[in-house]
Amino acid sequence: MEFAIISALNGVTYGLLLFMVSAGLTLIFGMMGVLNFAHASFYMLGAYVAYAVSSIFGFWTGVIVAPIVTGLIGMAVERFLLPKVHKHGHAHELLLTFGLALIIEELVKLFFGDFPVNYQMPASLRFSAFHIFGADYPFYRLFIGGVAVVMFTALWLLLTRTRTGIVVRAAERLPAMAEALGHNIPMVFMFVFGTGAALAGLAGAVAGAFYPTNPNMGLELGVIVFVVVVVGGLGSLKGSLLASLLIGLFSSFAVGLDWSLAKLLGLVGLGEWARSIGGLMTLELSSVSATIPFALMLIVLLVRPAGLMGERN
Amino acid sequence: MKRFAMIAATSAAALSASALHAEPLKIGIIESLSGAQTSTGRLYANAVAYGVAQINAAGGFNGEPVEVIEYDNAGGAPDAANKFRQAVADGVDIIFQGASSAIAGQLTEDVRKHNLRNPGKEVMFINLGGEAMELTGEKCQFYHFRFTTTAPMRVNALVGAMKKSGDLGEKAYSINQNYSWGQDMQAAVQTAAANGGYEIVGEVLHDVNKIQDFAPFVARLKSAEPDTVFTGNWSNDLLLLMKATGDAGLNVKFATAYLDQPGNIANAGATSLGHYIANNYENAATDGAFAEDYKKATGHYPIFVEGHSAFAVGALQQALGTLDFKGGDINVTSIAQALENTTYETPVGPVSVRKEDHQTIRPVVVSKVVKNAKYPADGTDMGFETVEVIPGEQAIYPVQDSCKMQRPDS
Repeated sequence: MEFAIISALNGVTYGLLLFMVSAGLTLIFGMMGVLNFAHASFYMLGAYVAYAVSSIFGFWTGVIVAPIVTGLIGMAVERFLLPKVHKHGHAHELLLTFGLALIIEELVKLFFGDFPVNYQMPASLRFSAFHIFGADYPFYRLFIGGVAVVMFTALWLLLTRTRTGIVVRAAERLPAMAEALGHNIPMVFMFVFGTGAALAGLAGAVAGAFYPTNPNMGLELGVIVFVVVVVGGLGSLKGSLLASLLIGLFSSFAVGLDWSLAKLLGLVGLGEWARSIGGLMTLELSSVSATIPFALMLIVLLVRPAGLMGERN
Repeated sequence: MKRFAMIAATSAAALSASALHAEPLKIGIIESLSGAQTSTGRLYANAVAYGVAQINAAGGFNGEPVEVIEYDNAGGAPDAANKFRQAVADGVDIIFQGASSAIAGQLTEDVRKHNLRNPGKEVMFINLGGEAMELTGEKCQFYHFRFTTTAPMRVNALVGAMKKSGDLGEKAYSINQNYSWGQDMQAAVQTAAANGGYEIVGEVLHDVNKIQDFAPFVARLKSAEPDTVFTGNWSNDLLLLMKATGDAGLNVKFATAYLDQPGNIANAGATSLGHYIANNYENAATDGAFAEDYKKATGHYPIFVEGHSAFAVGALQQALGTLDFKGGDINVTSIAQALENTTYETPVGPVSVRKEDHQTIRPVVVSKVVKNAKYPADGTDMGFETVEVIPGEQAIYPVQDSCKMQRPDS
């Protein structure tokens, strides 16, 4: 019981962090069809901007400024870089953003050095929310989860319940028609891309204070975030929330389980034989827990290529 | 005909020019200078550059300054193999590398094969940081020298020092990365159990630097209720593990190998206080003369791997001092033999090469994180205080049976 509660709690908070980072990517892909490889770089940029600002003006100013800065950079990318390659199709957009990711990473190293920087949460947030089964549960994990929930609700309401949302969705479905009705489509796209980048920046500013802020953070999380978006169904906000939670829970539970093929075979009396073979047979689930998201992606792609909540099959 | 005469004349001129200039000793650094492990790779390269500057300040070698060429292996073994071929083409005599045992494994095999195929044009490899046991086990060879510790040396030192200071406890947990180094650490913790008088209450191997969230591992660790947690984790895997444990409010002592990696102390903050590390060198364990000299040359005190890497070049310098090729061809085999017979005095004690497997017999420094340290880390007020310096003879472990070295002189 203790194991199940703790693992579920850890899994959900980690899943919400994944959602926080992947929300912007989902938005950009869902509304514009651009697969933005540099998305995790905006996440890293957010953490670094927040670090730089917060060392002078305090943590909260950093958290507010970071998404604004990354949002503006995102808009600039959409305005000045993407249109140049748009007519050549998705592959070129992907390559452009991939190059951008490499450039951002090296620039960060140039300005902030190769080592993790000392970006910390304020002392006022550093306390344990509650005491459970003999261990403290840090409040900041709940804070990260809370920000993700607010982010999801706000985005979902914005897209489905407001006039802006209608225009954005119209721009995605029928850009020519929306333009004919007098909406400035390029402006809408720039705004969407900027929002996506700003969300990544906010995620970076919030999560960077909990996880170390280093030049590899984008790379490390970037791959998982792509897995989330693919599993959830490219462009589906609800899908990526579901996928994030699934990946978070699977990884969390896998760590606590010392299952192996040998144990499984032990149920039918072949345990000794399997252990004598060793290798893959005795590999514990916990030692490959980071592989689980990819296994999940493989299964989802085989069974439902459009992703859990994807529309296009 | 005229053209042939011209070629003959120019090549004759080139030949005589090369006879005037002695052959310089060339050192190649094949290191992770881009990609995820840049931070560590850069430090190894810094330290080697510092060491070579010392050689050149003392007049170089063979009548010429020693040349250093940096090659970027981008953090991967395939790139390292490519860069090794390039280094050979550039005429490099000695290769240095430190970040990653996997890359060290690739390079030592490449060096061995190259030397088999090109007798008389040997290349030697000084390994600054590849700690996998197999490098001095199955893969051991005459032209590879390991100028760093290995898992048993670090663990034995930690166990000895922590037991003496009463911080070891009776229940130990081992959490390591699932590859050669982490597995070596886990095995070393098992071996040292009898001597240290502790029981291993849990063991975990996990993916290498892929895990973002260590909370589930901490939940598992907590249920085993250990006193001490042994870990060979480095980079994010150590930092995240330590932070997650601190956040959960668990009262355990960490016995680590890489706590001194830059950024760790600042990021973990007060959580890191009281945790242990065993490594090759610590400024606080010395009189500070080397640290000051290093700072004068590079602008900062030696951190992380820089100290022991500089000593490896120091040992090489001492070995070179016993040789004189009189400006002629450089014989790498003679350099390797001279290095075998070198005992180099570092500020923490002597370092010598064990001839059977080319592991260095070297002191291990055990330190713990304290407030108001003499050499503060990462711009904080915390840093490392020396608990004990274990002398080389005490820290060393027996030669592995798997090492069958082919010597050129036998």
